[in-house]
Amino acid sequence: MSQQTINFTLNGVPTRVSVPVQMSALEMIRNVTGLTGTKYGCGEGECGACTIILDGVSLNSCLLFAVECDGRQVTTVEGLADDPLGRRIEKAFVDAGAVQCGFCTPGMVMQARQLLERNPRPSREEIQRGIEGNLCRCTGYVKIIDAIEAATKE
Amino acid sequence: MTALDNYVAPTSLEQAVVQLQELGEVTILAGGTDLMPQSHAGRVKFKRTLMNIRRIPELRGIVREGDEIRIGALVTISEMMAHPLVREHLPLLVSAGDHFASDQIRNAGTVGGNICNASPAGDTLVPLMVLGAHVELASKPDDTLFRRSMPLPEFFVGPGKTRLAPAELLTAVRLPIPPKGFVARFHKFGTRPALDISAISIGVAGVLKDGTFSQVRVAFGAVAPTPVCGCATEEALEGKKLDAATIAAAARAAQDEVHPISDVRASAWYRKEMIHNMTKRILEDVSANH
Amino acid sequence: MPETIQRDSLIGKRITKLDAPEKAGGKTRYIQDLDVQGQLYGKILRSARVHAKIKSIDTSAAKALPGVHAVITAADVPYQRPIGVAKDHFPLKTDRVRSLRDEIAAVAAETEAIAEAALKLIKVEYEDLPVLADPNDSLKPDAPLIHPEPHGATAKHDHLKQAQGIAYLGKPDNIAMTFDYQQGDVAAGERESDVVFEDTFHLHYVTHCCMGVSGIIAEFDPSGNLLMYSNTQVPFLHKREFAEILNMDPARIRIIQPPIGGGFGSKLDIYPFEPITVFLAKATGRPVKLVFTREEEFLASPTRQPVILTLRSGCKKDGTLTFRTVRTLHDNGAYTSWGATTPFVMMQTISSLYRVPHCLYHTKAVYTNNPYAGSFRGYGNLQATFAVEQHMDMMAEAIGMDPLEFRLKNAQDPGEVTPQGMHFKSCGFKECLTTAAEASGFLAKFKANEADKAKPGRFKRGVGMASMLHVGGGAKIYPSDGCGTILKMDDFGSVTLITGASEIGQGSETVLAQLVCEELGVPLSAVRVINNDTEITPWDVGVHASRTTFIAGNSAIGAARKARGKILDAAAKMAGLNAADLDLRAGHIVEAKNGTVVMTLAKLLRQLHFSDKAELVVTSFYYEPPSKHQDKHFKGDVSAAYAWATQVVEVEVDTDTGIVRLLKVTGAHDVGRILNRLGLEGQIEGGIVMGQGYALTEELMVENGVVRNPGFRDYKLVTAPEIPEMDVRFIETMDGEGPQGAKGVGEAPAICIAAATANAIYNATGVRIMALPFTPEKVYRALHAAKKEAA
Repeated sequence: MSQQTINFTLNGVPTRVSVPVQMSALEMIRNVTGLTGTKYGCGEGECGACTIILDGVSLNSCLLFAVECDGRQVTTVEGLADDPLGRRIEKAFVDAGAVQCGFCTPGMVMQARQLLERNPRPSREEIQRGIEGNLCRCTGYVKIIDAIEAATKE
Repeated sequence: MTALDNYVAPTSLEQAVVQLQELGEVTILAGGTDLMPQSHAGRVKFKRTLMNIRRIPELRGIVREGDEIRIGALVTISEMMAHPLVREHLPLLVSAGDHFASDQIRNAGTVGGNICNASPAGDTLVPLMVLGAHVELASKPDDTLFRRSMPLPEFFVGPGKTRLAPAELLTAVRLPIPPKGFVARFHKFGTRPALDISAISIGVAGVLKDGTFSQVRVAFGAVAPTPVCGCATEEALEGKKLDAATIAAAARAAQDEVHPISDVRASAWYRKEMIHNMTKRILEDVSANH
Repeated sequence: MPETIQRDSLIGKRITKLDAPEKAGGKTRYIQDLDVQGQLYGKILRSARVHAKIKSIDTSAAKALPGVHAVITAADVPYQRPIGVAKDHFPLKTDRVRSLRDEIAAVAAETEAIAEAALKLIKVEYEDLPVLADPNDSLKPDAPLIHPEPHGATAKHDHLKQAQGIAYLGKPDNIAMTFDYQQGDVAAGERESDVVFEDTFHLHYVTHCCMGVSGIIAEFDPSGNLLMYSNTQVPFLHKREFAEILNMDPARIRIIQPPIGGGFGSKLDIYPFEPITVFLAKATGRPVKLVFTREEEFLASPTRQPVILTLRSGCKKDGTLTFRTVRTLHDNGAYTSWGATTPFVMMQTISSLYRVPHCLYHTKAVYTNNPYAGSFRGYGNLQATFAVEQHMDMMAEAIGMDPLEFRLKNAQDPGEVTPQGMHFKSCGFKECLTTAAEASGFLAKFKANEADKAKPGRFKRGVGMASMLHVGGGAKIYPSDGCGTILKMDDFGSVTLITGASEIGQGSETVLAQLVCEELGVPLSAVRVINNDTEITPWDVGVHASRTTFIAGNSAIGAARKARGKILDAAAKMAGLNAADLDLRAGHIVEAKNGTVVMTLAKLLRQLHFSDKAELVVTSFYYEPPSKHQDKHFKGDVSAAYAWATQVVEVEVDTDTGIVRLLKVTGAHDVGRILNRLGLEGQIEGGIVMGQGYALTEELMVENGVVRNPGFRDYKLVTAPEIPEMDVRFIETMDGEGPQGAKGVGEAPAICIAAATANAIYNATGVRIMALPFTPEKVYRALHAAKKEAA
């Protein structure tokens, strides 16, 4: 099995790891770098629980080959701790009651971060479309949409 | 365990096609959105080498070349949707892209990947077909770079199977800039706006002048092993006034010419019914709005 | 220090969840995120056949793979005992496989990849048996038997000889369970009827789809004590059951529950992967972690109970209900889990949602080679309500009465004791009906849609209503339904609430903390809730049946009141005042009448700490108030309080495609009292969308025992753009027994949606569909057939 050594920036920190070629970025983030905020929900890009931001663009890390992170900037939910917009979104999720079991939440927060960066004043419908790739089984989405809407208003 | 034991990430087209020729057994990685889950599920077996083509600048970018727009194979669906040339000349690709999976997948999935994946339900394929797309292929069998091109419908052989030669790379897709009076519609059937594998999809395009429809192209998705041209439907429309009788005849022709299968997403009967009803709806919409 | 403090209350406010900040930041560690030093990874080999004898299993190549620490089959764990509600399967299958999910062997290895590779090296020889895939076939005389004989080599093991359970005894037919209930005389009821309907309703397979897949970590310490990190919803019951299965002393079993990525009833039973992980830990002497893949989650976690339900019901011309006869066939799957027992709840809806003098109810739960059904939010009530509420509309139409008036005429009132023995002490049913109807403009829309139905046009609008009755004050499905609380106060005025009740995302810990704040006058930030370790927390029967707020809430209140009494007594003595004249507010002891501050709570607590007169740790428990348990004929009360709701659903039907869009849901819920408005809304909204999935989009497609869509690509959960507009109203009936008057609500919102949607589709199109889900193709076929019939 072929191992590759890759260098990338993980939440602002230069990182060097050796990974099997077929490993997903999700497995690398969780099991190699030990950041467990990014969740496995389906492994086929249908649930969004593993959403990360790669060079400013949100992706399902379960579909991304870890080797593709080479030379790039990776942001996970843990990286939002140093990001004003990210922190605002997280707080809005708490305040709006958008968190129940919380398993989908990191992926939702990451996708909301992406959405608001590209479209700082989305309509409710645009928010709904923006998170169409993120499944939630607890909330019925209402309070998640509320939270993202509230995060635009501060 | 897979036999995968080699990884290459060429940084130029030249390098890529040379490596393809030399290494033989190569799995190409573009966006990865299909490769990763398919390999996990065992539907795709990795070949000996994984070639990441994402570092090849020649495969990127959208440009106008004469009367054509060239979309690089590595252009993501999101990039395609946002590009001014596409928005101006090929708005059908913008609306088709809007039905494509989810934001995260649009950000990763590439036009070339969607074509090479050759799914009968691939979301960009039907729109690209009715826009008259050609695929641009490159290889280097000897000392010179060999390029060839073929109309997109000819490229597909079966589910996941294309005419791409073993050492060949799809580099771009070329689309003619549509003439004046050009109208095009894409309908993807589903209950969700996106993130849905279509039970059927329909593309219709042509030039509408004084109520007469000509240069008609019709294509259907998810009704055959590959996306297919709706030749009988085209014939029922070509050179006709888009009146109720023409629309009814075209919808019937569409229903008759598709031979879908039944699967978890829909029965063959229902697919044929939807081909009929949606073809009719699209044509009525074209007729009403032009 | 302030001079006076006025009384403040958190009850009814929008309180954010205590665990939300760490969850939103991605810091919460779920079972998938936990690692234990030295752990191995477990994987299970499942059957490649739907129904077959296991002829041989060869694990030698798997065992030889470097990095593999154990490969086990049933032969390696002769001590295993059967699991399930009917004790009808061993965790590792012994003699045959009866469904595609069946566990044949398991591996523990250094990595997941090695464990997976090892699975592929296990060779199993099968001898195929005929597949029983249709529950209707299960009762036929020539049907293949699913459990014809004891499972495997029982003679070798002494303990098996005295044991009960189908795995030991076999079953000469395919009937897993039957349920019979009767009140009055349905034949007499039918004779009085002016209108009688009989229809058969088909309820499909859906599954929980918790976003966090199933997982467990098991480890033994050197003294043989077992520690499990488990997502179970019933830790204390599990402790006892694991002891039985593993033949060990329950005192040596400890369960820690990490935060859970969704429950919804899926984790009420023990499933084979849990004991199997323990076997692996035992075999290797190492901690073993086993986590499902999503595909495995679809294949090997329980489903909602599929039901074929034939309902015959009648009424008089004046709208009085006369009788109901129900026969249901439950497809049990190969084994028996809680799904088979859903008749407990179904018959409540049949007999007691409305006043029906005569009822007959019969269920057969039969074995097939299909996946097996467990408990799932609503527990049979979605199925029963789907049938009952469609017949309500059909009867109303037949006698020319509107659906609202017909329901109001037969709806229960407070104080009613139904023939089945349910006592409705608080009951806002009629208010739910009128509130939902008025808020949605039901009647006007209903009539307008009726009138538009026959007009041309592709899109048709429809409105439909359905109501429900569900347990809201615990559920006496086990011999007891209690919860214990330990409440501890420190020197600084902080409270630690140690409760038996589990948090599964629904917000129980926040509500319990609120209830404590209400008694002790401390801010929410002063309360910590400990709720996840059987070694620490007092006993509780588990998180299910919408019971936690009611039962654990009352238990927490009991403990807080004890503490309050001690504090006020001490403060009174110290200050020379009467305890009755004092109150606790914002961390202070104050005079109740004017809020004048007497001292800080922290100061008093420190005084008490050294006084040796005060106990700063109090314990309390709550059992449901005494009432007659159901007898063996299912008569008697099942809950201390009942929840009621009416939901009005508005749809748009595209007659060209059969696509049904849910436009709006208006709900009125009798919740007793609102405790945490934010959490309550979240429960209702989430339940509505879960109901929407059941009605429209979700279906686990099982063909000849094979699940054809084990992934989110073709098992369609509702996504954000698909949700309806929601207008949710709360009816506060202030239940006399409820904590601050509240009743349980967790399951209620999912129950009515499918039934109301069916009624709305009928209102839109005149076509009644009695099978779920309402997929475009199913609706289109129904419309197409109706058109053909008309032509």
